[in-house]
Amino acid sequence: MVSVMLWKEIVDNLRDRQTVFYALLFGPVLLPLLIGGALVASLKQAAVSFDEPSPIAVSYSERAPNLMKFLHSNNMDVEPAPAEIEASVRRGDVPVVLEIPQDFATALRSGTPAPLIIHVNDGDKHSAKEARKLNTLLNAYAQTINALRMQHRGIDPSVFNSVNVTLQDVSSNGFRGQLLASILPFLLIVAMVMGGFYLAIDTTAGERERQSLEPLLSLPMSRYKLVLGKYLAVLTFVGLSSILTAISLFLVFRFLSPEAAGGVISFDGPTITRAWLLASPLVFFIAAVLMTVAASTQSTKEAQTYLGLLMVFPMAPFFILQFVNIKSVNLTMALPMLSQYQLLERVVLQDDISYIHIGLSIAGTLLSAVLLYLAAVKLYSREKIL
Amino acid sequence: MIHADHLSKTFVGVPGQPKRKVVAVESVSFKAEDGRITGLLGPNGAGKSTTLRMLATLIRPDSGKASIDGYSVTNDVLSVRQHLGFMPHNAGIYPRLTSRENIEYYARLCGMNKKTTKVRVDELIDMLDMGKFADRRSAGFSQGQKTKVALARALVHRPQTILLDEPTNGLDVMATRSLREIIRKLASDGHCIVFSSHIMQEVAALCDEIAIISSGNISMTGALDTLLENTGQQSLEDAFVVAIGGEL
Repeated sequence: MVSVMLWKEIVDNLRDRQTVFYALLFGPVLLPLLIGGALVASLKQAAVSFDEPSPIAVSYSERAPNLMKFLHSNNMDVEPAPAEIEASVRRGDVPVVLEIPQDFATALRSGTPAPLIIHVNDGDKHSAKEARKLNTLLNAYAQTINALRMQHRGIDPSVFNSVNVTLQDVSSNGFRGQLLASILPFLLIVAMVMGGFYLAIDTTAGERERQSLEPLLSLPMSRYKLVLGKYLAVLTFVGLSSILTAISLFLVFRFLSPEAAGGVISFDGPTITRAWLLASPLVFFIAAVLMTVAASTQSTKEAQTYLGLLMVFPMAPFFILQFVNIKSVNLTMALPMLSQYQLLERVVLQDDISYIHIGLSIAGTLLSAVLLYLAAVKLYSREKIL
Repeated sequence: MIHADHLSKTFVGVPGQPKRKVVAVESVSFKAEDGRITGLLGPNGAGKSTTLRMLATLIRPDSGKASIDGYSVTNDVLSVRQHLGFMPHNAGIYPRLTSRENIEYYARLCGMNKKTTKVRVDELIDMLDMGKFADRRSAGFSQGQKTKVALARALVHRPQTILLDEPTNGLDVMATRSLREIIRKLASDGHCIVFSSHIMQEVAALCDEIAIISSGNISMTGALDTLLENTGQQSLEDAFVVAIGGEL
């Protein structure tokens, strides 16, 4: 009986374009592409790579042959600069132009500071990034020359390095990694809610509105089984949606190099699988939340309003964790959603996770799911459900 | 067979007034025999639907008792549902399923296996003359077609007792006539049929027994002749007005 119900609800809802769009396309495919894709693209743009050869436009390159050799050995292919330097940088024809002034060689020879000009359009991300990269290389070049000069005069170059600062980041990630890591639970949970959203409304409030609930409830089957059939249908869609999301995220993040992501972060197959497994108790929980809320409303409109507000919940931990540093104590690990956010972040950041925390997360989430399910059965046993 | 004995039901809360009490059924007693068509006749708001819902185990009576084929509607809910086919006043069929799928769904939920389901559904499609729209999705069906699907669904598990809540609502003349034929046939096959209506001609044309219900009470029961005799009137309409205490 339960399987008959499950099957009917799945077939029935697969015939509904709205449900299919939100459950199987919007949450699992479009959102990861939009959010994940935009994130990957912006990180790729911001990341400076010294390994890939890139062109650099230089005006009067013949005035500094040694510097050109240095740039070339650092993966910069020197190209002649366009005639109108400022205009072409502003237009974006070339990202930056390095200009060698006339007195560069003389100044260098005489030991006075030799001028160099970088033409950059700071309002343009790509231009700013290229300028940063060029500046770093020029500093390195300057240091080499400094060291040579000092050695020439019999001074140990390290005398001038009075302080040696090393920045050691103990978090395994940094802000960029943190943001990327929280995007995984965020998208997974949003997709789960989207996945079951319309089905939950259709099988409860929708059924009442179509007035098909009355004859259904007069059939020789217990309310417990009836709710179970509907719950399993919602569960199927929530689960399917979460699996599809995991696959889309895996595909989207394949385009992100580990350096761009901040080093230790990982979105490879095993990581995403582990993350999905840790998030999977939420499938039961979210399906139960959707069922219970939908069953407590009088119409599909009301259900849509309440469940729409409920959509804020999966986002809440995302924002809370951005602003507040919540320590992973046992209590927060027993809370559905909050615990999955923390666990999934750590999976992505390749941090250690204690088994107690995993156990608490699973137990807390499943227990809440059972309580909510029982609440749904109770709601279905009310006469007011008709 | 139905025995209803002093059923009562009060609802608490109406839209806008959550604490107001509404007595939907005060005291309803009547009998409906197998092989006969019993009409529950009453104006809108008289308590017809509430009575049928209590008999269909959808809501519990506050007091009184009732039984369907000997099973108590309060204590033996699942047995009652097994012996009962209930068609509410709105067809309530699933628009994205075909007629056949709608009926099959109920058959399977009642515990019938695939094979018996198929045989039974074909039988019902034949009996209710639904061949033309059996495999069409039911969104956009006419009221008559919807009613037929709903009726087939209510009959699918071969219930002995059949409750029909205003089945002729929204049907045109031909559909009404064909439904009447079906109901007569079901009665002659030995089923106990109760159907509610507020239309006099409908009840007069079809029912062997009539129970007049008004303001949550049964004011008179009996065959049409008996009702006319008891009230000294010539037509059911006049008899009805007298029975519910109105002035002619």
